[in-house]
Amino acid sequence: MAEDYTKRTEYTGEAAQMKAAHVLLREVPFTPSLPELGYNNRTLHIDLTTLTVTEKPVTQQMKDIFIGGRGFGLWYLWQAIKPTTKWNDPENDIIISPGPLGGNTQYPGSGKSLVVTLSPQTSIPIDSNVGGYFGPLMKFSGFDALEIQGKAEQDVIVVIDGQKGVVRIETAPLEPSDSHVAAEIFTAEYAETEADRRNVSIVSAGRAAENSLIGCLNFSWYDLRRKATRLKQAGRGGIGTVLRDKKVKALVCRGPQVRGDMNHPADMARITKVATKLHKEIHDFDDQQCHMRRQGTAHLVEIMDAYDLLPVHNFQYGNHPDTKKIASWIWDARFTQGIPDGCWYGCSMACSKGADGHIVKTGPYKGHVVTVDGPEYETAGGCAANCGIFEPDWLLESNFYCDTYGICTITFGTLTAFIMECYQRGILNKERTGGLEMTWGNAEAQMELLHQMARGEGFGKIAGLGVLRMKRIFTERGWGDPQLLQDIGMEIKGLEYSQYMSKESLAQQGGYALTNKGPQHDEAWLIFMDMVNKQIPTFEAKAEALYYFPLFRTWFGLNGLCKLPWNDIEPEDNAQTSEPAKVPDHVYNYCELFSGITGREIQKQDIITMSEKVYNFQRVFNIRMGKGLRLHDTPPYRSVGPVTREEYESRAERYDTQMREEIGVNPDGLSVDEKIAITRRYREDRYQKLVDAVYTRRGWTTDGVPPVSKLQELGIDFPELVEVVKQHGG
Amino acid sequence: MKYLQVDFEKCDGGRHCNRECEVACSKTLYKTGDVAYSAIRLLPVKGQDGALAINVCNQCGECVEVCPTEALRQNKLGVVLLDKKVCVACYMCVGFCPTLSFRQVTGLHEPVKCIVCGACVKACPRGALQVAEKPQPEPLIAAR
Amino acid sequence: MAARGMAMIRVNGDPIEWHEGMTVRDVLVARNYKFPLIIVTVNSHLVRREAYDTTVVPDESSVRVVHLMSGG
Repeated sequence: MAEDYTKRTEYTGEAAQMKAAHVLLREVPFTPSLPELGYNNRTLHIDLTTLTVTEKPVTQQMKDIFIGGRGFGLWYLWQAIKPTTKWNDPENDIIISPGPLGGNTQYPGSGKSLVVTLSPQTSIPIDSNVGGYFGPLMKFSGFDALEIQGKAEQDVIVVIDGQKGVVRIETAPLEPSDSHVAAEIFTAEYAETEADRRNVSIVSAGRAAENSLIGCLNFSWYDLRRKATRLKQAGRGGIGTVLRDKKVKALVCRGPQVRGDMNHPADMARITKVATKLHKEIHDFDDQQCHMRRQGTAHLVEIMDAYDLLPVHNFQYGNHPDTKKIASWIWDARFTQGIPDGCWYGCSMACSKGADGHIVKTGPYKGHVVTVDGPEYETAGGCAANCGIFEPDWLLESNFYCDTYGICTITFGTLTAFIMECYQRGILNKERTGGLEMTWGNAEAQMELLHQMARGEGFGKIAGLGVLRMKRIFTERGWGDPQLLQDIGMEIKGLEYSQYMSKESLAQQGGYALTNKGPQHDEAWLIFMDMVNKQIPTFEAKAEALYYFPLFRTWFGLNGLCKLPWNDIEPEDNAQTSEPAKVPDHVYNYCELFSGITGREIQKQDIITMSEKVYNFQRVFNIRMGKGLRLHDTPPYRSVGPVTREEYESRAERYDTQMREEIGVNPDGLSVDEKIAITRRYREDRYQKLVDAVYTRRGWTTDGVPPVSKLQELGIDFPELVEVVKQHGG
Repeated sequence: MKYLQVDFEKCDGGRHCNRECEVACSKTLYKTGDVAYSAIRLLPVKGQDGALAINVCNQCGECVEVCPTEALRQNKLGVVLLDKKVCVACYMCVGFCPTLSFRQVTGLHEPVKCIVCGACVKACPRGALQVAEKPQPEPLIAAR
Repeated sequence: MAARGMAMIRVNGDPIEWHEGMTVRDVLVARNYKFPLIIVTVNSHLVRREAYDTTVVPDESSVRVVHLMSGG
């Protein structure tokens, strides 16, 4: 049955009139250039307060220490802000950088942009890794990074035209800010022909980003088959909120027509050799392994359920009988198959799936036919399972609106689950929510919450502040027991948890809580290694994993790479290698890719060394902003053990066995409350021992501070960093 | 649809010829005698020491579906042609070719494949190659 | 948990009940191991994916099912 997957509501009808309403505020020419050995050696700085556009040189020191991507972002942000800077101060900076390997069109997963800013949610730097064409097109226009500082007086767009060699700041009063509309209209406005649309990428947010702290950025690319503007999200930490606070409606990049050698690599043959090898692996094995090409990360839904790891009802439980309704085979059928769904050229993993033909059920776009970008696993885990909503159409609905309103699906999922649990426990009720019945599984209430968030009204306005602030507000109003709110509010450092259950994996408790930006799984995902394989039984072994994997994975963000092609496909002989969990052959590929593009020869150990500089820099940055010490690495107890009786009883055999065998206490005859208390003492103590082991392995003090000697060893002993750590016993 | 048909009875894997097919192809496509540029290749047969066999595109069209820029299209005759102007040299077509007949050649931006020009047909001294017709397969783009 | 004296194997260190003719596939099903990226060894011998249905696990074996990682 061949439905027309290109059929959708169009928004470009009035694009010409909208563009005609723009007023040019500033126009600055530049000489377009292409990178040499992966670098242009200059970046672009925009100040929206003064309407100035300047170029900055990239120094050798920046390349040696910070590499690019997230490293450049953190370095620029450090210089842009003071310890007292708030997220909505004009000096806050949004930095977008693709990294030296970014934009190569051969190796899968090479089109990522890294975005860094001071987060409205955490008050420390946030970094987010996002697909779409913006970063590579900006790089091939001539810039290794873009900084947006200052605040505009009215809604503006920034246009980087790498074909014409001009940067423009224009007012844009008429275009809607919601991303599925904005990206389509701006693409039409700035592409000169239909064929030129693939050279245009838009960064935008949306209405909910304007009225909450949890805004995300959407990065677009033009999908030739669907004839649609597709979106990928820099989701975490509220970057979209900062963009809209600066009154930026969109960033537009029109780059040159892309060719395969635009990075001017040192040795093209080394790149093509590992790239074609990986394409062939994906061709040969993806069908037996993760089905990324057909299902994207949604292939994980029923797997996580099978291992008791899918968060259900605000991370109380790890599985649900209705998971089958949102399982991978549902998405396999909903996603239009046979389209090269890469979020950048050359990604044969093609996991940017799209569900075409969704008819919007609620809100301002009710009745529109849209393509939903996703759902990915995290969205299914957060917006569906965690809220007890096991309906695919409602998941598409919440996915669509989160994206177009410009908020993070992970954050929205976790905070809605928190609200629903508060409702379950009587902390919230219909009166307190202004009429929203936030019961488990109530999809319509979830959507109304989201629409309120977009309008900046009612309880949605409070929800959009995130879990940390909701806990404070509920406590101030005398709603609920503050300790219970603390225990079940799934956030650390102000950022909401992503969608995995860490309760039965001590290593993953650290994998979430010992992160730089907050509890996102992109530093370390150790649950199988720890809980299922039992490969890292000791504190030291867990600490080693919590040293290696965060550093290894940081490297993707320095270089403009995606993590997925590292280990969502494995070579045929991976099982026979000495360390299959590291996928040694793919690590070799990355060394070849880096050496082949930059001409700087690296071996696998160098990956860790490069990351360690930036990782420690970010830790010191957190300390500088008041949130990088041991105290701030403390997880809510929900992520460590059973908070409630129901939770204990749902896994009573596991907990009783642990009590008998590990704690050395006979559970027979004890009340559930007594058993919860004993388990809690044991698990909280065990977590602190893990923290000691990890800090030791990372070379930090017991308070989590990288000492001066560590900074010296890493070559990042700049005076201003030394000053920060010295104040904290480093 | 048109494709290059190989008669494996007549072709003896280069034992009694000077690999005229490869030379003719690289000369036609890239004006070079370097057979690395040839779309038709005599390649070693796995498990048969020293034996070579013809490897060439059969115009199955699977690469068309994979190409992110629509640089690959089947023409009216069913031959898969590459538009060099829009190719971004991702080489997904190379990795996804079921017969390993799409090639990446060092020093060349675009990948190389057979366009059924017939140069090798004329060059083969054993008459092992011919331009033939076969029925068009079902379209590969699937809809939900 | 199985009663004392019953035929047993260990899977990732945990005891599970064994039966005559038990294959690697049976072990995976018994443990609900649905993840595709796994490495299986029986008494330290690697079992290839294609052989899960045909490889018989002897009594008192030590089976390791090492799960790799995937996901966003």
